[in-house]
Amino acid sequence: MPPNVFHRSLLLIAALFIQHAAASAQDTPSFRNDVMAVLSKSGCNLGTCHGNANGKGGLKLSLRGQTPETDYLTLTRETGARRITLLDPEASLLLQKPLMQIPHEGGRRFERGSAAHKILRDWIAGGLPQEDSTTPSLISLNVSPPNATVSAPETSASLKVTATFDDGSTRDVTALAVYEPSMTSVTVSATGTVTAEQPVCATVVVRYLNQQVPVRLDFIPDRPDFIFQAPPIVNFIDEAVFAQLQPLKINPAPICDDTTFLRRAYLDLTGLLPPIEKARTFATSTLPDKRAILVAELLTSEEFNDFQTLRWADLLRVEEKTLDSKGVDVFHAWIRDSMAQKKPLNEFAAEIIAAHGSTYKVPPTNFYRALRKPEARAEAVAQVFLGIRLQCARCHNHPFDHWTQDDYYGWSNFFARIDYEIIENKRRDKNDKNEFLGEQIVKFTDKGEVKNPTTGKSIALRFLADAGTQGYEPPTDDKDNDRLQQLAAWLSDPLNQRFATTQANRIWAQLIGTGIIDPVDDSRSTNPPSNSALLNSLQQEFVANNFDIRQLMQTIMNSSTYQLASSANTTSQHDDSNFARTIPHRMTAEQTLDAIGHVLDIPVKFGGHDPGTKAVQLKGVRNGEFRYSEPEVGDRFLALFGKPNRLQTCECERANETTLAQTFEMVSGELVSTLLQQPNSRIDKCLAAKLPNSKIIEQLYLAALSRTPTVAEQNFAADFINKHDNTRAALEDIVWALLNANEFLLHR
Amino acid sequence: MFNNISPFNASAINRRDLLRIGGPGMLGLTLPKLLQAQDATVAHAPAKTAKSVIFLFQWGGPSHVDTFDMKLNAPSEYRSKYSAISTSVPGMQVVEHLPETAKVMHRIAQIRTVHHTMNNHNSAGYTALTGVEPPTDDQRLRDSLDLFPAFGSIVDAVAPSTNDMPTFVSYPHTISDGSTTPGQRASFLGKIHDPLFIPNDPNDAKFELSQLSLPSNVSFGRLQDRRELQKIINQQTKALDQSAAAQGLNAYYEKAISMLNSKQIRKAFDISSEPAELRDAYGRTTYGQGCLLARRLVESGVKFVTVYFSRSIGGRSKTDGGWDTHGFDDTRMYEILPEWHFPITDHTLPVLLNDLDSRGLLDETLVMWFGEFGRTPKINKNISRDHWPKCYTALLAGGGVQGGAVYGESDKYGAVPDRDPVTTGDLAATMYHALGIDHTTEIHDNFGRPLPIANGRPVTEIFT
Repeated sequence: MPPNVFHRSLLLIAALFIQHAAASAQDTPSFRNDVMAVLSKSGCNLGTCHGNANGKGGLKLSLRGQTPETDYLTLTRETGARRITLLDPEASLLLQKPLMQIPHEGGRRFERGSAAHKILRDWIAGGLPQEDSTTPSLISLNVSPPNATVSAPETSASLKVTATFDDGSTRDVTALAVYEPSMTSVTVSATGTVTAEQPVCATVVVRYLNQQVPVRLDFIPDRPDFIFQAPPIVNFIDEAVFAQLQPLKINPAPICDDTTFLRRAYLDLTGLLPPIEKARTFATSTLPDKRAILVAELLTSEEFNDFQTLRWADLLRVEEKTLDSKGVDVFHAWIRDSMAQKKPLNEFAAEIIAAHGSTYKVPPTNFYRALRKPEARAEAVAQVFLGIRLQCARCHNHPFDHWTQDDYYGWSNFFARIDYEIIENKRRDKNDKNEFLGEQIVKFTDKGEVKNPTTGKSIALRFLADAGTQGYEPPTDDKDNDRLQQLAAWLSDPLNQRFATTQANRIWAQLIGTGIIDPVDDSRSTNPPSNSALLNSLQQEFVANNFDIRQLMQTIMNSSTYQLASSANTTSQHDDSNFARTIPHRMTAEQTLDAIGHVLDIPVKFGGHDPGTKAVQLKGVRNGEFRYSEPEVGDRFLALFGKPNRLQTCECERANETTLAQTFEMVSGELVSTLLQQPNSRIDKCLAAKLPNSKIIEQLYLAALSRTPTVAEQNFAADFINKHDNTRAALEDIVWALLNANEFLLHR
Repeated sequence: MFNNISPFNASAINRRDLLRIGGPGMLGLTLPKLLQAQDATVAHAPAKTAKSVIFLFQWGGPSHVDTFDMKLNAPSEYRSKYSAISTSVPGMQVVEHLPETAKVMHRIAQIRTVHHTMNNHNSAGYTALTGVEPPTDDQRLRDSLDLFPAFGSIVDAVAPSTNDMPTFVSYPHTISDGSTTPGQRASFLGKIHDPLFIPNDPNDAKFELSQLSLPSNVSFGRLQDRRELQKIINQQTKALDQSAAAQGLNAYYEKAISMLNSKQIRKAFDISSEPAELRDAYGRTTYGQGCLLARRLVESGVKFVTVYFSRSIGGRSKTDGGWDTHGFDDTRMYEILPEWHFPITDHTLPVLLNDLDSRGLLDETLVMWFGEFGRTPKINKNISRDHWPKCYTALLAGGGVQGGAVYGESDKYGAVPDRDPVTTGDLAATMYHALGIDHTTEIHDNFGRPLPIANGRPVTEIFT
């Protein structure tokens, strides 16, 4: 027998043997590959049930089956092995509870005779086999189709899930996988059939053991007469957006009118309403590229720097208690200078991460001054700069992403070697450990490790990167105390796609209102982008232009997509994730307050600030726990409307919801009522100038709504004034109505 | 607050909201109706014996061993300087300075083994107000959005009032100790679940609800004129009305204007319409009139009322402040309590319970009385007592609670639970249980993490 044939025979025999092993393993279910899957599929190990940190009803399983080894011991050994009855498998608590043969707080988890029932019973009857080296381990999960488009009249699609194991074997695990749809109008059967009640773009996360794969399914309505109509394609943004809309049979809204665009551009870039003169001239200007000119103008304005600084000051926790007033001043000024100097955003981030020295002399060190623990720094940097909410992985592997606890602590170790030299601390409240008043030195030292509390081990440095991408390899040299310089270099490297993508997405969300990944700091495999092509192009554009915020904003704002009206048509009314129109939302706290001040032409008061300071220019917070002076009416208003206290590095800390308390403030609250009656307001100035009523009305409309009144509005207002003896009081009423109009309160 | 309408909840659910970690999809709702499936089978089905809760929060930390869990046989360095009197429950005694309270002990259940690990007012206060311990025992714990919401805010989020009244009302103080105590508002649940907070003093002759009052120069007629003008402008943006944002605003304006003109709400807050004798019975104090107001509010359909005993932790004054009687500045706990805290308590708790009862409301109103901790079993060098979170007493009455019951037993000093320890999470679960809210219901924090509304189990033993 020639050697090669002999070899082949051996291989053949080996293969037969493996097949046989796999077959016998199928006879008795595998704990890791079958039993664990049943526990997940039946929901036993969810955080609400036995996966809870404290377990439930005396049984604690690992959250979502993260550690099969401990679950094996728990089920077979714990509490005197009372959960299993080897001699009579059907009498095992492990079966009787989920079958509800005896009371179970979690109710019936599977039916008698179901596959789940059979797997657990056969595993018990088979003698509770545990894994050994011959049990194949899962290495990947494949869902077919990976994405699907389902066109009416079809309303459902079937998924097939295949698991690949490390011995090369594959297995259909469709019936064992868990299906989690992104919305309640979509349902998935136990065997992987996805059904939508209405046209929708949905994501279903398919999970088997420790692997999960998101599948996007677009359910397309039956619109036989659909003709795609869209505004002109200006740049790659429109290409990507319209390319997604057309097959979905959604028509984008038309381009918005000039007034809407003007307000939108002002609010998005400066946080302020357009000046009256601008409102008057913009609508009547006949310059063909007046919108592009306006955008360019606003991007170079001082107000743009103020407003960008406000956004970053929110995220970087610029607040007085920890940084003290001087720290707030210098950090705010540094952010503002960075914006004014057009510092590339990756350099801005790198300077923050590598910052050390005096918090008074090296302003970005204030970032670390506010974050006193390695874990807090690690979580903040991951969230702000990489769009990763790593918090879950502190106590257990991240249930919705691939980050492990070791990833968490390996990443945290970058931040373990920071020490503070407190030059002085004149805190007013000796009992307040959170308060610092005085200079500090942020120092990088060569000592300090954080350990994974579960294993008690210190973890080697790890970047937060996806396998196979740039920078996945951990840093090799860990001898010097330059961990954070290494990290800054890695983070700001143009090849670091996560940073660029996260920041491009943040910029998109600032202008469009919704991130392509949304929330913008919650990027994970189970929360995929709503338009990947768009996000990739934005990221590339951002990197190609050296992380220039303005350039990317200009590109976005010149697109037709940014300029779409907010009106919905029959094809777009149920869609809010494909950017077919602008979604109206209320102005932020600062925007609303500055807009009210603008309409009445009265500066609003804030505690500890020079009169005339705008809300968007406030450096710190002061609200909440008030620092050394009482909150002024302006501070109270901002708190009510959701200005964040800057104790979290999360955009979510800014409250954007509308509340009844806010409505009361607008209707009858102290700020609006006081300002309406305050002397020397726009009302008084108009009256003093003896303007005719029609001109006063026009000016008030231009100030509040950036447009002139319609004939009907003009007539109604004029009649209203005539009916009243007290003209000023009547004008107050008109201003009240303008300030409370949807057109005023909503960014649209 | 006022979340009985929530125009955004209905219309603004989008794909993205649900994609957040732990959205309905992530809860495994593909499993056949996970939560509903439990209904029939839950071992501890919520009792739903109470329609509303009045939470009388005793800021500063009352001494359990000088009030309801007196250790009369303890050595003198432990034993209260007060003597005990018998009560309406045979064999049960309370401190001599609460004679009226003694007469209603048959309406009150005591839990004598409440315990946690927070020694400072703010961290302990937060623990008692939310049922959740903070990450550290921080004397100036910062009120940030990663901390847990107030009980009332959770009720507003998961089981709001269905009438026109707000779900959660709190007053008359924002409590603080150096910094605002966390746990008084909605935190990560969002501002829409903040309480309707009344900063005004209900003992003030001119007490009114400032948020629901028009400015003096604006009559309701003038407001209606303004509303007409507003509608004219809104007509120009009819297309906006399709949007969730505009629909939300429109609904809030309807609601706000109708509340400003609501007789029901005005009446609920019109404490001056109470007979003078009853007002006197509650005591003409801010807290006393606050307790009376609480009865009016639950009567009109408010689901959760929190009345704070005092703004500050107090403890050194005989005319002001909370229960924090360390004996600092040469003051003495045993002199202060009978002058200030006990008379107020004896004027309010029994009067409130009897008043509720005479109106047939006691059976459906759970009254909770406790502070952030008890006080050291051993008397300190100032002949006073310091903070003691390891074991203290909570009172619960009405709302299906078995009056006269005692749950849990402290050791002979009142230092640690001897039997049946109860956490603040258990207290929270007990309260939700009484309201018919499953205490394992989940809410989500800002990172999307699913969290049960109570970390504990209901003390079902105290219910009838």
